[in-house]
Amino acid sequence: MSEFTREGLEPLATLGNDTPRIDAIERVTGQAKYTRDWKLPGMLYARVLRSPHPHARIVSIDTSAAEALPGVRSVITYENAQVVWGAGSVNGGRQYNDPTKDATIHRRYIFNNPVRFVGDSIAAVAATDRHIAEEALTLIAVEYEQLPFVLEPEQALEEGAPQVYAEGNLCPDFRGEFAPMISNIGDVEAGFAEADQIFEERYETGFIHNAQMEPRCSLAHWQGDKLVLYTPSQGISNCRHDTARDLGLQDHQVQIISKYMGGGFGNKNQNQDADLIAATLSRRAGVPVMLEYSRREDWLGVHGRWPTVQYYRVGVKDDGEVTAMEMRAYSGMGPYRKNSGGISGMDAYGCPNRYREIHPVYTNRTTSGNFRAPSEPHGHYGVENMMDEVAYQIGMDPVEFTLMNMRRPTEQQQFTNYSLEEVIRNGAERFNWQARRRVTPGSDEGPIKRGAGFSFMMFRAGVGTSSAIVRVNANEEYTLYVGVTDIGPGAKTTMGMIAAEALEVPLSQVEVVWGDTDRCPYSVGESGSRTTIMTGIAVVEAAEDLKRQIADRGMPTGSDVLIASATPTPTTDGMTRQCFGAHFVEVEVDTRIGATRILKYTTVHESGRIINPSTARDQIRGATIQGIGQALHEDLLYDPQSGQPLTPGYYRARHLTHKDIPDIDVHFIEVDDGYGPFGAKTAGESGIILAPAAVANAVANAIGKRMTSLPITRDKILGAMA
Amino acid sequence: MRDDKKQGKRSEQAPDQDPAVKYVDPLNPKQQSRRDFLEGTGTAVVAGAGISALGFPNAQAQSSTSGSRTAINVTVNGTGHSVDVDDRWTLAELLRDELDLTGTKIGCNRGECGACTVLMNGEPVYSCSQLAVWADGANIQTVEGLAQNGELTPVQQAFVVNNGPQCGFCTPGQLMTATALLNRNPSPSAEEVKDAMVGNLCRCSNYNAIVEAVVMAGEEGGVA
Repeated sequence: MSEFTREGLEPLATLGNDTPRIDAIERVTGQAKYTRDWKLPGMLYARVLRSPHPHARIVSIDTSAAEALPGVRSVITYENAQVVWGAGSVNGGRQYNDPTKDATIHRRYIFNNPVRFVGDSIAAVAATDRHIAEEALTLIAVEYEQLPFVLEPEQALEEGAPQVYAEGNLCPDFRGEFAPMISNIGDVEAGFAEADQIFEERYETGFIHNAQMEPRCSLAHWQGDKLVLYTPSQGISNCRHDTARDLGLQDHQVQIISKYMGGGFGNKNQNQDADLIAATLSRRAGVPVMLEYSRREDWLGVHGRWPTVQYYRVGVKDDGEVTAMEMRAYSGMGPYRKNSGGISGMDAYGCPNRYREIHPVYTNRTTSGNFRAPSEPHGHYGVENMMDEVAYQIGMDPVEFTLMNMRRPTEQQQFTNYSLEEVIRNGAERFNWQARRRVTPGSDEGPIKRGAGFSFMMFRAGVGTSSAIVRVNANEEYTLYVGVTDIGPGAKTTMGMIAAEALEVPLSQVEVVWGDTDRCPYSVGESGSRTTIMTGIAVVEAAEDLKRQIADRGMPTGSDVLIASATPTPTTDGMTRQCFGAHFVEVEVDTRIGATRILKYTTVHESGRIINPSTARDQIRGATIQGIGQALHEDLLYDPQSGQPLTPGYYRARHLTHKDIPDIDVHFIEVDDGYGPFGAKTAGESGIILAPAAVANAVANAIGKRMTSLPITRDKILGAMA
Repeated sequence: MRDDKKQGKRSEQAPDQDPAVKYVDPLNPKQQSRRDFLEGTGTAVVAGAGISALGFPNAQAQSSTSGSRTAINVTVNGTGHSVDVDDRWTLAELLRDELDLTGTKIGCNRGECGACTVLMNGEPVYSCSQLAVWADGANIQTVEGLAQNGELTPVQQAFVVNNGPQCGFCTPGQLMTATALLNRNPSPSAEEVKDAMVGNLCRCSNYNAIVEAVVMAGEEGGVA
């Protein structure tokens, strides 16, 4: 059994007390209704036809046989249904930004010609039954003219490489200019001149699919000129706005219903092409249409974490002071830029001279986009393995090296609170770091070797605008309206708990209305670790307003109600607000077969006040395990000759199963910094940021070889030991 | 009004689309037809003999099996059903679409994830990988058949108190495999739980909590 502790704050009346989810019964009895569980009268089923080629121009498409198949009601293709999927490709990867979408150079459509990756969509069919729709796809005749393709981001920038777009393979930035993302702090060359030693290394990381259990789907239903969409969404307000924009509607003409959803991890931000395809088919057919993606389509057709190549250079003095850090990197975005391609981690260091240059690059692989902490885990892996290697090379303990070089508050940039040093020291002591790490990496005798690794982070916990409405009736029954969806972390319960605490009533007196844009106010969406803080602040503010109304006017009587709404614009008074974490892991590597086993895993996080302990604990445990999968198993391999993806799916991507899972110990240091709802910060993305870095460092400590490529599969360990 | 706005905004040729393709209103059923386009370009239609990247052969017509049905008798959660099933239906489709038991989830539809696990004559099976016709004469239990008269089973109760579901999509399958385990081994160890449940994936990776919950359910006396 894994350990779970908390220290620093006493529980309040509701917050900080272990609370079963308010919808737990629905979730364990099969009553929770997910998108595919809805049925509407006359509903059709839809399927999408996708490109089997990595890059091709469609010469012709003939849908007549499909249209003639009994039961087929609508067939749409790139020829007769050109809908821009605004969130599908955005200059600079800037999301939620209409002007940028308007200026975007390389747009993605719901169907595309030319096709630019295996899985690019070209047509869709709606039929009375899903088997007929699938059969109809086989009747669509497509003639392709195959084009040269490129898979690797570095190769894509070489002279003479196949061009994904005529303008070249470097993605345009948010201004529409073809330039890398550069961050330049201090004077990096002066920093290298100060250094006693300079270290260099190349790191690379793989594509990781979100692989949420519920494949993408969408049920579209037109009521006159109003579109009702049942869809799994990590942000119903954003999904509504994106969908309305793409279809040329006003926001109020679109209703998004997303009650229960089977996970997202960034896979279901904004709207998706499935929403637009289902809406278009439904409009044409005149009846509701349910579009279901297969697991393989979801794997290849949507997006996952971008693969990267990272070149580091670090200058260090003999006493361990880092004087310069430089990274030049490449992020493989696939053929559409859904997100930035960012690579984070260097900012966790205080070194005054830092240069970072990231080239987001088009390739003919599947599209890259958001995955839980989009820019962080692969970046922390690269930076922290680089720095771990430097520490061992100069004979320092990596923990001491980190404490010497990590970013700390300065007069120019203060923090609302800073507990990184406490988090690291606490973790090192709990884990017994000094006993578990090998001072000389790889020094265990024999083929089975043990070692320990560590990683640390600070991650944004900023405040921002969201909305909430609270109502009370004469029976003192409170109703909270929040535009959240319950993607898995438990936002519905968390929001109810915050309301109960602020209203000073038991949670059982609070009903939560969620997941429906016609019933709920704007919420920021379940992405960027924002819901708990931002919507939570709005809930507190609305509750305070309602309490004042009750104090002034008394409880309502009869059929009267009192209502309060809030859309606050909180600030952190010029300070930065961060959550903090450190992971310590011990591994055992059997160097004869290259297998890595995790023996002990200790996590320490400062995420502000913990609202619901068990769900916060499982955010850390689950994200950590996802990160272990990224470290050791998951990738999407392509055949370089044919451009075909080889490992889509849980089995071939080698996803972790029950038997692979170590106990993850979770320790929270709780702090109320005076910002956020009752001092709460975030926990949703923290765990995955640190796991790949810590696991890879542990493997290096065990075997004495730095593993510079994720995932650290058996063949790579065998190769390193050979 | 919507159409006016659309035309004004998007009537120009998008730069990255095939220049031969004219803009067509996506929501207007009276769109330009594909045949108009093909006739205009004089392109002959040739069936692409491509690889089927996504499991769908993209060229050849296959003979339809729709309409081929078989009458079966199946007991689900204690209730007998005589159903005329399409021979192509999986057991998951029968349960979800015909019997409205949507608690059983389809995560991969190809026997990889276990979200669709149900008990067939007491044994856990992937209902996505069983044809409905094979269930003739079988006794099926789904997640809807666990609680009796609103009373949760110990393993369901343990999932409630130990946060067994995160997104909840794998939960029905996890519960069914756990139920089968607890039926034959009322007090399993954590290792025994992991062995039995290896075929049930959880991408929220809530594995620690799930194993703890099943062990907890066992300690409290197994499934009644």
